[in-house]
Amino acid sequence: MIQLKQEVRTLKKNRDVYDFIIWTVLAIAVGLVLSFSFLPMFGISSIDAMKIMITEIFSSSYSMGNILVKTAPLILTGLAFAFTYKAKLFNIGIQGQFYVGCITAAAISLKMQGHAPGLVVIILAALGSVAGGAFVGFMIGFFKAKFGANEFLVSMMSTYVFTYLNLFLMRTVLQESNHNYIKTDYLDKSVWLPQLIPGTAVSWGIVFSILVAVLVWFVLYKTSLGYRIRMTGLNKEAAGMAGIKPERQFMISFAISGAIAGFAGWIEVNGMQHMMLPDFDAEIGSFGVGIAILANSHPIGILFAALLFGFLQVGGTALGHASGAPPSVIELMQGFVMLFVLMSFFFRRKIEINRLKKLKSENEEVA
Amino acid sequence: MSVNSVPAVELRHITKRFAKVLANDDVSFTINKGEVVALLGENGAGKSTIMKILYGLYHATSGEILIEGKPTKIDSSKDAVNLGISMIQQHFSLVPPHTVTENIILGTCKGIIDYGTKEKEIQELADRYDFNVSATDYIRDLPVGAQQKVEILKALYLNAKILIMDEPTAVLTPQESVTLMKFVRDYAEKGNSVVFITHKMKEVMEVSDRIIVMRNGRVSGCLEKADTDERELARIMVGCDLEEVRSHHTSDQRPKKERLIVENLSVEYKNEVPLLSNINFAIHEGEIFGVAGVSGNGQQELCEAIYGYLKPTKGKVILDDEEITTLDVRSHIARGIGYLASDRHRYSMIGDMSLSENMLLKASYLDKWVHKGVIDRKKLDDYTKDAIKQYKIKAPDHAITIGSLSGGNQQKVVVAREVDMGENLIIIDQPTRGLDIGAINYVHKTILNEKQKGKSILLVSTELSEIFALSDRIAVIYKGKMMGIYKNGELTTDEIGLLMAGYEIDSAKTGGEDTEKE
Repeated sequence: MIQLKQEVRTLKKNRDVYDFIIWTVLAIAVGLVLSFSFLPMFGISSIDAMKIMITEIFSSSYSMGNILVKTAPLILTGLAFAFTYKAKLFNIGIQGQFYVGCITAAAISLKMQGHAPGLVVIILAALGSVAGGAFVGFMIGFFKAKFGANEFLVSMMSTYVFTYLNLFLMRTVLQESNHNYIKTDYLDKSVWLPQLIPGTAVSWGIVFSILVAVLVWFVLYKTSLGYRIRMTGLNKEAAGMAGIKPERQFMISFAISGAIAGFAGWIEVNGMQHMMLPDFDAEIGSFGVGIAILANSHPIGILFAALLFGFLQVGGTALGHASGAPPSVIELMQGFVMLFVLMSFFFRRKIEINRLKKLKSENEEVA
Repeated sequence: MSVNSVPAVELRHITKRFAKVLANDDVSFTINKGEVVALLGENGAGKSTIMKILYGLYHATSGEILIEGKPTKIDSSKDAVNLGISMIQQHFSLVPPHTVTENIILGTCKGIIDYGTKEKEIQELADRYDFNVSATDYIRDLPVGAQQKVEILKALYLNAKILIMDEPTAVLTPQESVTLMKFVRDYAEKGNSVVFITHKMKEVMEVSDRIIVMRNGRVSGCLEKADTDERELARIMVGCDLEEVRSHHTSDQRPKKERLIVENLSVEYKNEVPLLSNINFAIHEGEIFGVAGVSGNGQQELCEAIYGYLKPTKGKVILDDEEITTLDVRSHIARGIGYLASDRHRYSMIGDMSLSENMLLKASYLDKWVHKGVIDRKKLDDYTKDAIKQYKIKAPDHAITIGSLSGGNQQKVVVAREVDMGENLIIIDQPTRGLDIGAINYVHKTILNEKQKGKSILLVSTELSEIFALSDRIAVIYKGKMMGIYKNGELTTDEIGLLMAGYEIDSAKTGGEDTEKE
């Protein structure tokens, strides 16, 4: 009897994962189909659009590589949001922490290039951007822990602070040498992240991003640090009773989240853009939120969700070039996909609850 | 007492079943006009449930309600209010940033509100009952006693004829209680009925005409006040099913060393009733020290203060000659103290985590299963598998979430963990609440077993049978004070019942009245 029950239970566990994947894939498909069905409004046939998207993307290794280029920072911002979300906290300020990472990486690279070997500068830039992002994240966690500030609002508003601080720096000390544009100088080739795949823009950034995802997974599920963070998120009172100070977990998780977002800045500046501009990757933070939610905050799921977003971005841009569809089509697609994935969560839960209810009433009748 | 022939309310064979718990089992009684009925019983006896059924908040599984002799269906509290029934909840339902008037007319007004007239109306109502409340005051500025008056005014404004009060004096100062009692009597004189839910015997004797005692969801006694006294009530309330269990404690030779010493422990915040005052006791090695009392008398605070979760305002806690009063919970855990909190779901487990992860709960800073910050999964899983076998936990494996187990099995997991965490001292609060007989026996056996190993155990329980069955010495706690420490066997059920109700034992023996220790 118990043997049987055990089998049912393990089956159920596998079924949960299976269910999750099926539902999510289905939701993504429905979202995509629906967003394509809007295209005739712009005078483009849906079928043609789909053809264009696929042929454009897979015509050259360069555009396929672009998917990976877009994916790398999205993995990181997704992870950044997921990390605080595991502690039931909302880091809405990933964009700001990303900018801090960007500007720190740019500043260190620009000031030190030529004075030290390229590799040393790259490493220092990485450390600097991680430290900068971590500091900003820690401050948000600190305000939450010490003063009970609403981390949602504080982190959200901090983005504005750092966006404009960046603008200020790009107008003053970090402005390009001719003082004509609001941007920094180009980084010297010696401090660029090395190319991963020749003939594309893909740098080592994607590898680092995947490594970070694995690291985050390890920290969350295999270490006592991650255990405490998850536990605090699930039951704050029990954590307190177990000698774990929830406030400290808030600060730690926010600092790590900020560090990941800052690291994304380094990958983008040293690996892709090679300078800092205003409004650079202006939506990477909010995409991160979407990606984390899409993947149910699981670090490995985030890899795939980020890939999907990267694909949509490149595909959407290609569509725009080839057919004259407005670029906002990409956002439309992302919006629909997100909407349907969230709806699938909701329905799945509803079905599960109904099933449990039925089970329970059956049990009661027996009793 | 009313001589009116038709009772205001008659409850017939009401049964209420929540998923697995039988909250009310065949409850029948009447409430007459002009009568104050006290509903007496321990927490969880089903007092509030039966009244919530009358007020339409719950629906009875079976049985019927007669109002003025007519069978009536009460589907919602709106129906109840229309029938003249009002209930004042233990936790007030007032809106603090609004005025008294706004709170009272809430839900009864439509369209444009003529505040002037309403305020006058309510002020008159308040004055008629000598309530010292102004209709224009803001709720947030009022003391608790006045807030309760607003709640009562709300009921009166709705022309309530039957007033149900759930533990109305729990939050009041003695003076406020006196005024409340006076109001209750006045109000009943006018031909209205009052149901007074309480577990305090003194109030019962003071205010009621008739007393209905509930225990385990059943009516275990219905007495006229004139025909009874506190001793009888205490016996009925605590229950007579005790004698059978208390037998097996004699074999012990005097234990050795004092392990835990609690000196003058107080938790007392300014302008508040003290939660704990001047608690003194010591627990020896290999001893179970039982703390009996009606729940909510400071038991949880006592456990939390010893465990470092609640900072005492005065006094000392000493474990093995080391003062640990001001240390945090983490340090307490490191010193081998286990704490089985009474609210399992809130403090002792994480429903969405696996059994293994729940085993790790309190050891995340220790090196038991963590090496250099990395969790040793295999060791942890093996330990959990052992515990599942040893405690006969009905779970398929260690990876299942604890939330999917039954209550009894969840408790076994938590007991297994705390017993191991508490190498020196185990604090146990309500270890068997809500468990079935089999699980209770198992938990009891485990506790006795740990005692044999020489551990010190602080056992807090509202179940007297449990206290009697396990403890070496028994203390009774009432309103944050120790009413005395006795050897097991020294006290009779009657005596302990009286101590739990706040009466001194000497006066209790001579049947003295009103000598409550304040």
